[in-house]
Amino acid sequence: MSTLDKAHTSSRPVPNPKRSLITRLHMGTGVVVGIIFAALVYWALKNSLLTYTDKVADPLSPHDNNIVLLGAMFAWSIGFMAGIGAFIGPWRWLIGKDLTDEEILYLAGDGQGTKRYFKYCTDHKVVGIQYLVGVMTLLGVGGTMAMMIRTNLARPGGHFITATVYNSLVGLHGITMIIAMIIVATGPFGNYVMPIMIGAYDMAFPRLNALSWWVLFTAIPVLCSAWFLGGIPTGWTAYAPLSIQAGPGMNAFIATIIIFAVSTAVAGANITTTVIAMRTKGMKWNRVPIFVIGSTISVALAIPAFPTFMVSMIMTALDRTYNTGFFDANMGGSGWLYSNLFWIMGHPEVYVILIPGVAALMEIVPVFVRKPLFSYNAAIMGFAGIAGLSILVWAHHMYMAGWAPSLNGPFMVTTEMISIPTGLLFLVLIGTMWRGKPWMKLPMLSVFAFIWDFMIGGITGIYLSDVPADSYLHGSMFVTAHFHFTLMGAALTGAIGGLAYWYPKMTGRMLHERAGYISFWMVQIGFNVLFFGMFMAGAEGQPRRVVDYAALFRNSNLISTIGAYSVGTGMIILLWAVIHSWTKGKIAPMNPWGAKTLEWTVPYPVPLTNFDELPVITSDPYGYGKGK
Amino acid sequence: MSHDTEFHVHHDSDAAVGRRERLGVRLLIVADGSFLFSMIFSYFYLRNLDVGGNWLPKGVKHFSSGAAWMVAIPFVIAAISHRMGQADKKTRNLTSIVTLLVLLVGGYIQLHQMANMPFLLKDDAGIVTFNGAYASNWVLMAGTGVFHYFLGAFIALGILIRNRTTNLPHELDLWRQRTAQSWFTWCAIAAVLTAISLSII
Amino acid sequence: MADHSVEELAPTPGDRATRFLKRADVKQTTLFFIFWTALFVVLGIYFYPKWMPTIMSVEMKSAEKIMIWFTVISAPIAGFVLAVATTAFMNRHRGDTPPPDGPAIRTNGPVVAVWTVTSLVFALVAIIWGLTEMNGQAVAAAKDAKSAITIEVRGSQWVWTFNYPAQGIETHELNLPIGVPVIFDVKSADVNHSFWPVQLGVKVDANAQVTTVIHTTPDKLGPIDVKCAELCGLYHAYMETTGEIQSASDFDAWVTAQGGHKA
Repeated sequence: MSTLDKAHTSSRPVPNPKRSLITRLHMGTGVVVGIIFAALVYWALKNSLLTYTDKVADPLSPHDNNIVLLGAMFAWSIGFMAGIGAFIGPWRWLIGKDLTDEEILYLAGDGQGTKRYFKYCTDHKVVGIQYLVGVMTLLGVGGTMAMMIRTNLARPGGHFITATVYNSLVGLHGITMIIAMIIVATGPFGNYVMPIMIGAYDMAFPRLNALSWWVLFTAIPVLCSAWFLGGIPTGWTAYAPLSIQAGPGMNAFIATIIIFAVSTAVAGANITTTVIAMRTKGMKWNRVPIFVIGSTISVALAIPAFPTFMVSMIMTALDRTYNTGFFDANMGGSGWLYSNLFWIMGHPEVYVILIPGVAALMEIVPVFVRKPLFSYNAAIMGFAGIAGLSILVWAHHMYMAGWAPSLNGPFMVTTEMISIPTGLLFLVLIGTMWRGKPWMKLPMLSVFAFIWDFMIGGITGIYLSDVPADSYLHGSMFVTAHFHFTLMGAALTGAIGGLAYWYPKMTGRMLHERAGYISFWMVQIGFNVLFFGMFMAGAEGQPRRVVDYAALFRNSNLISTIGAYSVGTGMIILLWAVIHSWTKGKIAPMNPWGAKTLEWTVPYPVPLTNFDELPVITSDPYGYGKGK
Repeated sequence: MSHDTEFHVHHDSDAAVGRRERLGVRLLIVADGSFLFSMIFSYFYLRNLDVGGNWLPKGVKHFSSGAAWMVAIPFVIAAISHRMGQADKKTRNLTSIVTLLVLLVGGYIQLHQMANMPFLLKDDAGIVTFNGAYASNWVLMAGTGVFHYFLGAFIALGILIRNRTTNLPHELDLWRQRTAQSWFTWCAIAAVLTAISLSII
Repeated sequence: MADHSVEELAPTPGDRATRFLKRADVKQTTLFFIFWTALFVVLGIYFYPKWMPTIMSVEMKSAEKIMIWFTVISAPIAGFVLAVATTAFMNRHRGDTPPPDGPAIRTNGPVVAVWTVTSLVFALVAIIWGLTEMNGQAVAAAKDAKSAITIEVRGSQWVWTFNYPAQGIETHELNLPIGVPVIFDVKSADVNHSFWPVQLGVKVDANAQVTTVIHTTPDKLGPIDVKCAELCGLYHAYMETTGEIQSASDFDAWVTAQGGHKA
């Protein structure tokens, strides 16, 4: 649409379009309208599906109950969006009364202080902070679930929680973390920092930006409602036909994924467009900071990936409500259809998670080593190669499914080819470090942790990609340990590095250093102990997702649980540091790390339009170094 | 675009805004394309597996391929009629009505088909089941068709109203029409691909 | 190709190499390289055999071999990456101000090329190894098909049932004769399960309505565990049973005791 002009000084009038509905809508009205709409739909569907006779005693059939619940969940999401004012823009477009400049400025939260964080605010910096808080909440919830899982597994025969709760925890921990990890870097940093990095006034579609966040927000209560509906028994992969058989909690999972897929598509289109079309003068493709490149490749990969998950979830919903037979073998369906659709999304998705984390670290290394990024082109080829290959490898999750044994060979080939672009990422990181003196601040520490963790994750991934080894390891704890090394050890470490790095720009204060160091070491040491134990359990032959295990696995599981407590404690310390420093931290200078990317040229608080005058770029931001 | 005296919003050039909007819409179309791909994949995968001979169980009726094309043709007409009114506002006064009407008719046909599905199975307890994997795939594709018709009609209605009420600069207006064209053309392509799939029963 | 400004002007490549090898950070890196490589080799050779259960088939052996050898082969690469990182870490800069700028190395063509080729070779080794093993297993399975016994495995929530059609018995424990090829025809009565006779190192999902097949030949006497490796609902964790690889005579005796007959 339009980007906001810089022509505002402190004496300018505050936009307050009194006659416009948008001034009266906020998160509170969203919640109210959402709940009312959900209740109405719930009531209407329930009454229309009950016949007169069974209204008295009989409850709804499971299928009808699924219809009612799914209807209410989507009604909540739509109602909330209506109540917060998301549809005002499209409505005004429809009737031909476009938003006035005053309204656009009002929507951007101009002069509204902290209130704007609870409104349909189109300022990308507000959205970035909203994402940051959202991500930390999700990670906290998912982490708590992980601690409960590990507590139950501390010793064989543990009865800390029941099997039903345990299975739900495994699934909800999984999906919560997956959602959190997908947005962990592109959400906060992609929204807050990236437009500034490319020298833009705002995102390409500010209203879609707000939409992507608030749609995601509506998914959180839906996901939480799974607990009150009996949980999910399927794990985050939600394999059919188990998901068809599952109780009402499954509806919450389905609705969450569908809502989340909408949010991802919108955010992906928005970020990609911004980077392609809104780079400032002189920012040619070979001058774009590597984090921007990585995030863009990641979100662009997500655009085609997530709809397949959405389709598989719609099919699950149809099977559960209207008796279709996509996944029911008695009706001509097949669970293999589900696993194919799921993993066509699922494998690109892990790289959607990984790439921004790595890219954030690549942004960090040159700054802290004071050397140019080693082989910018190799980094781009690495990202692009991974993204390209990732859509051709999905069936390596299905080597043991028996769906097409003759395809195992080809999929093994594509999977192992991924080690080549992945190797380039390592080369870029160590090449930049070579002959440098890294400045040991928190962000830089994450780079070292990443290299170690991702190395372990990578090597164990090679066994898993080889069919004869996978035929032993598939479905065991070994797999769980492997992907935690890549997703948590690599991607989350990268995101935490990014947080430490950009925290001064996002909050105006420095992150508490001592707490950060303590947390770092507790998390990293604990993490390695935790998943060392899990590799051990897997190699010994313990299947994953089990509530209980044989005495044989006693030691390995105990090791894991001890490690988990260290990780949990470290994460709590990090959370404390983030919250504490936000208000009480040392005031940050404009450019605390001496970096050369554009976001460090703007003051805190960042002005509404980021720049007084759009900068003109003459070189890439890695011009460090003596000599040439 | 209104221009208040007090409030100034930075507007990039019409061409820049227009190009940007079209890119965004096309990226969303990529997502929709992936959705369509998944459905077509599902259709042919289950057809090929034919688990237990239940792709289309014996004696079960199905839609003729003509039915699938019935709901595809309106999209094609809508795309063409939108294209005809793209450049000229006056022509658009007429074509936008045609586009909207065609889409409404197409949506009605689609809903009518869904109300008369021949492959439903009703047991003694009155529970309705989709008989066979073909039936399941058909209803998902039809539902997507309804979604496309709904969104298309919304856009067509907006174009119809706005053509009479607003007065955008010519260049921006043209870009917006092109952007809408991307969507209508895509809908036509998607509907044709769906119809081709559904013709191969 | 190379970024000449990086090095001081050197008269001959030989001199440059000598000078390069004499550099303190190069020496340091070499030492760390040896350390990390050795560590990974030891980790691979020591831990996996220690952890993994008794190897009772060729398939299990090949899984273990891959885990050990791939670790050993990748050890130098991991060692190199970690060595560079460790060297940088040892030369770290402390303090609250950024360190002085390092050399402006933008890229180094030969290094990138060598690195890419190395990882390509490594990937090819892994691919060829895997394909060869898969092929060997497939050939062996085809050859053994005639002499094999067939067992119909049925997974249901949350029990494994084994039907020996030739022997006419159905049990919940999986006893097998040693040295006789066995074909498992796996099916599910409800949701997906995954049939995993742990010590035999093979695995396949159980699906409703369709049969999936795996082959193996037990080659060692002793007890085996059978588990479910696909989350299948509430008691997934307890969907396990045991069995035994027996001598031919013991197996026949067991079959008779179950009420079956000799095939």
